[in-house]
Amino acid sequence: MSNLSISNVSKLFSTTLAVDDFSLDVADGELVCLLGPSGSGKSTLLRMVGGFEIPSQGSIRIDGEEVVHLPPEERPTGMVFQSHALWTHMNVFNNLAFGLKLRRMPKAQIREKVEAVLELVGLGGYGTRAVTQLSGGQQQRVALARSLVLEPKILLLDEPFASLDQHLRERLREEVRDIQQRLKITTLFVTHGQDEALSMADRIVVMRDGKTEQIDRPDIVYREPQTPFVAGFIGTMNLIEGVVQNGVFSKAGYSTPVPVADGPATLAIRPEALELTVAGENAQGQVHRVTDYGTHGLVDLVLLDGTRIKAMVSHPDLFAAGQGVSLAPKAIAAYRDNVLIHRVALGKDTAALRQLVDA
Amino acid sequence: MTARPVSGVQSSRGLTGLLLVAVPVLLFAWMTIWPILSGLARALTPEQADGSRPVSFANFVTFFSDPYSLANLGITLWTCLVTLGLLLAICIPLALYLRFAQGRLATYVQTMAMFPMFVPSIILAFAFIRVLGPNGTVDLLLNAVGLPKIRSPYLTPWGPVIGLVWDNIPLTVLILVSGLGAVSNQAVEAARDVGAKPLALFWHIILPRMWTSVAVVVSFTMLGLFASFTLPYVLGPASPEMMGPFMQRTFRDLRNPEMALTQATVTMLFCIAFGLFYVRAVARNRES
Repeated sequence: MSNLSISNVSKLFSTTLAVDDFSLDVADGELVCLLGPSGSGKSTLLRMVGGFEIPSQGSIRIDGEEVVHLPPEERPTGMVFQSHALWTHMNVFNNLAFGLKLRRMPKAQIREKVEAVLELVGLGGYGTRAVTQLSGGQQQRVALARSLVLEPKILLLDEPFASLDQHLRERLREEVRDIQQRLKITTLFVTHGQDEALSMADRIVVMRDGKTEQIDRPDIVYREPQTPFVAGFIGTMNLIEGVVQNGVFSKAGYSTPVPVADGPATLAIRPEALELTVAGENAQGQVHRVTDYGTHGLVDLVLLDGTRIKAMVSHPDLFAAGQGVSLAPKAIAAYRDNVLIHRVALGKDTAALRQLVDA
Repeated sequence: MTARPVSGVQSSRGLTGLLLVAVPVLLFAWMTIWPILSGLARALTPEQADGSRPVSFANFVTFFSDPYSLANLGITLWTCLVTLGLLLAICIPLALYLRFAQGRLATYVQTMAMFPMFVPSIILAFAFIRVLGPNGTVDLLLNAVGLPKIRSPYLTPWGPVIGLVWDNIPLTVLILVSGLGAVSNQAVEAARDVGAKPLALFWHIILPRMWTSVAVVVSFTMLGLFASFTLPYVLGPASPEMMGPFMQRTFRDLRNPEMALTQATVTMLFCIAFGLFYVRAVARNRES
């Protein structure tokens, strides 16, 4: 049983607050993704858990034991770096065996453990290879194996697939998820790729400017974003700035009921939740471009005031540039002052959205 | 199959390139290769009483059978090895600090480490005498607090060692810091992550990656130390003396240019050995 508890952790670099009063509990065997744009503090947070940065304040506990004062070499964590950070003067076997040798483990036991972990990551028989002879994906597997062979209580992954191509990234993240679930190892995963977070995580922590925006299951984060930032950061979201008056949100000829107090609001509509119908004189927008992706189409629209939004359609051939359309959103959310104030989602669309998330 | 014609532009470019290379090559041949060959030829053809110059190893036999010459060669080797050892002992920790430390203090330390580069050897030698010589600053300070005088390293074998160490710190630090550039922060962090404490980290991760730069330091420093003259001449003992002053004295005071050339050839053979060590280290680095 290994759990991680981060309480009120902050990190100040000179005058820059990289992480601001962050708290998170990661349960045993859980995989939590720290997701956010560059500079959101996710890597700093991971490095604080690994011991490579010292928090300015707060507490980090692993299985209830405070580890803030421990250097990296004494923490029960294993970190996989973005650049693999393999030791090129050692072969694959020695890269994995190094940590075990430092623990003065008998040679036979080291060989047994290293070979078992190499098999686990699909690199059985690669022990004698020089790491420079391996492909990027194989190098990343060696880096993962190097951490796993020491059986850390907490596995820390710092954008491990960032340097790999898209195809390899997709394959490796599935493999890593399989291994993580098989070993039931508590994992903290840093990424700025929403697809990685949505497909791998048990929970996602969306971070921005060192603060937590939302902590939830991937499907909840996708379907019920709590802030406009999360709404815009996860997936594609149309964010329309407008005004609510008498329970109706209006923006340049487009209006929809939003039963909240009068005032400015940001309306959020997913492209897949926006139905379009061809309209004549009463058109609320005009088709700017239609892109056919084969499985679906993406219609780029211009509202009357020039605001650009997107709608996902199943039959893109029904639309053409310059055509007038009216909008019929099936699920909307409204935000004011960075807070969710209203949400409407129809059951049919919820199921469709779940399918999208699962895909 | 038709041969591709060479255009006039290409051939003129080739000629320009050759001319550009020719100047330094000819200068090198004139200023370096010719004196070496000429000196070697003279050392190997000692002048006889009748003015003839048969090929003979007589000069080398004289050098290697003369206890004073051997003592001078011995003190030169001793000075070089001790200086090299001290340089590595001082500069490796310094280079590690400069590579991994951040902030203003590291900048100050780097500036201090580079400072000797801008001090001429003769100034350094006299500064050394004023500070560590008899009745120098150290003696005066000790005397002021009622302590006995130090045993001054001036005119002992340790005099040149101290001066040469100080003089060679900048180049050694520069080469080592450059070599440490091959050690990424993440490689170091990965080692710490798997449990490596500082000594294991240095021995297993950092040293193997900076080995080439250590080899370059060894060869460069040894070449420089063998060729050193001012510091051993001013700070060193009169007897035995390092090869630099020994050659100068044999040539000028004893008016024996043939023997001086023999001493230079012996010195050059040692330098060639370290030169080959350097070439091998660089070649191995390129291969890897």
